[in-house]
Amino acid sequence: MEQLTSSLAPPRASTKQPAQGASQDAAGSVTKRLSSELMTLMMSSFPGISAFPKSDANLFEWAGTIEGASATIYAGLRFKISISFPPNYPYAAPTIKFDTPCYHPNVDLTGGAICLDILQDKWSAVYSVQTILLSLQSLLGEPNNASPLNPDAARIWDKPGEFKTQLMKFYRPINEDGPI
Amino acid sequence: MTSQSGRSQILATWQEAFTRLNANQPGITGLMNFTKAWKFAREYLYPIDINNPSTKVYAAHEVRTAFEVLGKARRLAAIFEAFLEDMRTQQHLITRDVNHHMSLHEETSDPRAVADLVYRLTEWHSAWEPGQEFGHQVLSAFNHTFQTHVFSVLPASFSSGFKSLIDMTLQPYLDKEESRSRGGEYPADLRLWAGFECLGMLERYESLISSVCYEAIEKHVWDKCARSWAEPELVNLREWITDCIVPWMLLPYARGARNSEEAKVMLQGVGARFDFHMCKTLCDLRIGEIFDIIVDYPDSKGALQDLKECLQRVDQRSQLVLALRRANARRLLHPGADTKDILAQYVSIMRCLRFIDPPGVLLHKVADPIRKYLRGRPDTIRCIVANLVGDKESGDSLADVDEPVQPLSQVQLEDYSDPNWEPEPIDAGPDFRKNKPSDTISTLVSIYDSKDLFVKELQVLLAQRLLLVQDGNFDNERRNIEILKVRFGEAQLQVCEVMLKDMTDSKRIDQHIQTQNECVLHSTIISRHFWPPLQGNKLIMPTQFKEVQDQYANGFAEFKPDKKLHWLPQLGTITLEVELQDRTIEAEVTPLEAAVIGLFGEKDRWTTEALTSSVGGTIEESAMTKALNKWVNLGVIKENEGGEFILLEIQEEGGAKPTASRQAVMEEAPSVMTVEQQQAEQMKVYWRFIEGMLTNLGSLPLDRIQTMLRIAPGYDKTVEQLAAFMEAARREGLVTVHGAHWKLNR
Repeated sequence: MEQLTSSLAPPRASTKQPAQGASQDAAGSVTKRLSSELMTLMMSSFPGISAFPKSDANLFEWAGTIEGASATIYAGLRFKISISFPPNYPYAAPTIKFDTPCYHPNVDLTGGAICLDILQDKWSAVYSVQTILLSLQSLLGEPNNASPLNPDAARIWDKPGEFKTQLMKFYRPINEDGPI
Repeated sequence: MTSQSGRSQILATWQEAFTRLNANQPGITGLMNFTKAWKFAREYLYPIDINNPSTKVYAAHEVRTAFEVLGKARRLAAIFEAFLEDMRTQQHLITRDVNHHMSLHEETSDPRAVADLVYRLTEWHSAWEPGQEFGHQVLSAFNHTFQTHVFSVLPASFSSGFKSLIDMTLQPYLDKEESRSRGGEYPADLRLWAGFECLGMLERYESLISSVCYEAIEKHVWDKCARSWAEPELVNLREWITDCIVPWMLLPYARGARNSEEAKVMLQGVGARFDFHMCKTLCDLRIGEIFDIIVDYPDSKGALQDLKECLQRVDQRSQLVLALRRANARRLLHPGADTKDILAQYVSIMRCLRFIDPPGVLLHKVADPIRKYLRGRPDTIRCIVANLVGDKESGDSLADVDEPVQPLSQVQLEDYSDPNWEPEPIDAGPDFRKNKPSDTISTLVSIYDSKDLFVKELQVLLAQRLLLVQDGNFDNERRNIEILKVRFGEAQLQVCEVMLKDMTDSKRIDQHIQTQNECVLHSTIISRHFWPPLQGNKLIMPTQFKEVQDQYANGFAEFKPDKKLHWLPQLGTITLEVELQDRTIEAEVTPLEAAVIGLFGEKDRWTTEALTSSVGGTIEESAMTKALNKWVNLGVIKENEGGEFILLEIQEEGGAKPTASRQAVMEEAPSVMTVEQQQAEQMKVYWRFIEGMLTNLGSLPLDRIQTMLRIAPGYDKTVEQLAAFMEAARREGLVTVHGAHWKLNR
C-alpha cells in the first residue's frame, strides 16, 4: 500500500523528500523539544534561574542567568551563562559556560568551562534546561572540591573570608544596558 | 476795455432773454403775458395744505394756455424747479402728520395707526402731484422729492410698525380652513397696497415684507411638523403655500399683473425663495430632531422622506452630520448607555442614513465615532455575536428579518468599466469607500479588523448555550451554526461544528454506557481541544457522588479504552431527594449544593471553612455561601450564632420559608471563560516570556521583543498591542524604558 502511494506521487518529490524530510524532522523535533522546554521554564517559577534563546531564529543558542542562592557565599551575585545545544539534543548534553567570571572550584575562571558530572558522562535525556540550571545553582553553594578546575579556589573554599575576597576580585556585575 | 466787453456781453444776454420772454410781442405785452402765466402756473401747482383746502377751481383751458406760454418761453423747467422749491417750504405739513400718526402708533403699537399714516400720506401725495400731462420726467422728479422727504422724516419705529401692519394683512390668509370657507375671497385692502406702491414702500421695505412671510412660514412649519414624524409633511406644506401664501403674495409681488399668466411669471422668483425657505426651515427642524427620529425609526419614515427631499434642495448635509455626531456624543456614546442600545441605535442610524443618502457618505461620516467607541467597549463583540445567533428571548434582532442571510461581503474594488459607474459624491471624504458592505451584520462585523475575534466569541457563547441545554434538543444551535456558516464561511466554524458533534456523541456514548451498566449519572463529554477553556474551581465531590462518578468512569474506560474522563463536576446539575426524619425534600441543585448537603449526611454541624476544605478547598466563599443559602431557604439547615450550620432533622416552626434577606449573593458564575479572560490568561504567559528575555538578553527595543515573542506558542499580537501592554507594565513599575529600550525594573 505504501509503495503504491509513493509510486503515485510525483517523481521529483519522491526522490528528494525522504532524505531532506528526515533531517528536517530531526531538527524539527529538537526545536520542538527546546520550545517546550522554554515554555516549561517560563511557566515554572524557580527564583534565581532563568534562560532564553538569544534570537528567535536559532533556538540552539540560549543565554541564561543564575543567581547565587541565599545563605551561600554567592548570595546576591548574578552570573550570565551561555547554553549551546547540540543538534542531537537531548541525546547529548548542551555545552554550558559562564560568561561572567566566576571564581569557583569547578569553574574555569578564564574560559568559563564548568566541571559538572551531569553535563558530561552523567548526562541523560530526561534532564532539561531547568534541571541543569537548578544543578548549577546548587553547584555554586556546594562545590565538588575533589575534582577542581580551579585548584586555588578549591584550596581556600574552607576560608570564607578569603574566598569572598577572591570572588569579588574577579566578579563583574551584569551590565543590563550593554549589548548582549 | 474789460468793462466795455463785459457790458456788451451782459447787454446781449439780456436782450436775448427779453426776446425769448416777450415772444416778439410789441412792447412788453409778451413779458406781461409771461408774468401772468408764470403766476397762474405757480399758483396752480402750489402744494396746498389739505387740512384747509382752497376751493379754487382751475379751468382746464386756462391751465393749458398758461403752460403753453411758459413752454414757448422755454421756462417749464424753471416753473417745476420753483414747484419743488415750494414743496420744500410746505414739507413741514407732512412732517407734522407723520409725527402725529407715529406717536399714536408708538403709544398703542396698533398697526392701524401706521395704516392711517399711509392713507394720509397717499392723500398728500395725490394732492400735490402734478397732473399726468406733465410727463414722466416731472412725475418721477416729484415722486423722488416727495419720497425723499417722507422717508427722511419717518422715525425708526416705522419699520417695526410697517412689519406688523404687513403681518396683519397676512394673518387672514394663513388659516386654511377659514380661507376655504370664504371661498378664496379675502378682505384685501387695495387702497393700502396702492398707497404702499405710490409711496415707493414696496421696494424700500421689500426685505421687511419677505421677512414677515418667512416668519409666517417658519411658524407654520414648527406648528405643524415639530415632533410629528409619521407622515411626510412637505407635500402638505407646499399645498399650504399655494393655498394661503400665494393669494396674499399677489398683493405685494404681482402688482400690475393683468392676468394669471403674468402674475405667475412675476411670482416665480419670490415663490422659489419662499419654497427654499420652507425647505430650509423644515430641514433645520428635522436636523434638530434627528436623534429622536432615528430612535423612532421605522415609525418616523415620513420625517426621513421630508429630510431627504429637503436636503436635495437645501445644502445642509454637513449640518446634519454635525448635529447627529454631536447628539450621538452627548446621548449615546457614554458609559451610561448599554452596548446593546448603542448597537441598536447604530443599526437604526445605518438604516436611516442609507435611506436619506443611499451612497452612504453621510453614514460614513456619522458612523466613524460610533465605531471607534464600540471598538473600545469590552462587550461589543459578545453583543453582536449574541445577535448573530439571534437570542429568541431578546425578541428584536439587529438584523432585518427580511435581510437575506448572505456571506459577509468584502470590500470590492471599483469597477470603472461599469456603464452605470458614478463618481463619488462631492462631499465624500478621502477614506470613503462606496462599495462598502451594506448589509447590517457585515457592517457590524467590520467594526473589527478580523473575523477571528467573532469566531472566538462565538465559540464561548455556543459553549455556554450548549451546556445550558437540558433536554438534548440542539436543533436551535444547529440552525444558528448553519446560518453563521453562510456568513463566516465553513472553515471558520469548524470548531463549532466539533462542539455540536460532541454534544450528540456524548448522548450516544451515554446511552451505550447506560446499557452496559445502569447509572444515575448522565454525562456530557466534550473535547478539550475544541472547547474554550472552562472556568471553575476544582470541586471534589464527596462520598456517594464520587462513587457514582468512578462507576461511570469505569464504564467509559471499557467503552473507549484510549480515552480518559476528566470530570468537570461544577458544571452539572443534580436532582436529589433529601430524606429527613419528618420530611423528604426534592430539589434540583448544582453540584456544589449537592456536595454540601451530602456532607451534612455525615455530620450535623459544619462551619463554612470545614465545608470548603472538604470539597477541595478552592471554592470561593461567596459560592459556598450561596450553596448554603439554598439549603437554608429550603429549611434543611440553619445558621446558629456561632457561624455554624446545623442540619434540621425536624422542621422548625416557621422555618420553612425564612427571611428574604438571605438572597443569593451572586449570580450564576459564567462557567466558560470569556474571550477577555482567555486573553488576559494568554498575556500572563507572554509576560513570562518577556521577563525571561529581558532577564537574559538585557534591555531590548520593542520590535526585537515582538520578534522574539514569536517563539512563544500562539503569539498573535501586533506591535501596537504589545506596546500598549508594555506601557501598562511600565505603569505598574515592572519595566522601565530608556531610549527605545525596555528593561526589567529591579
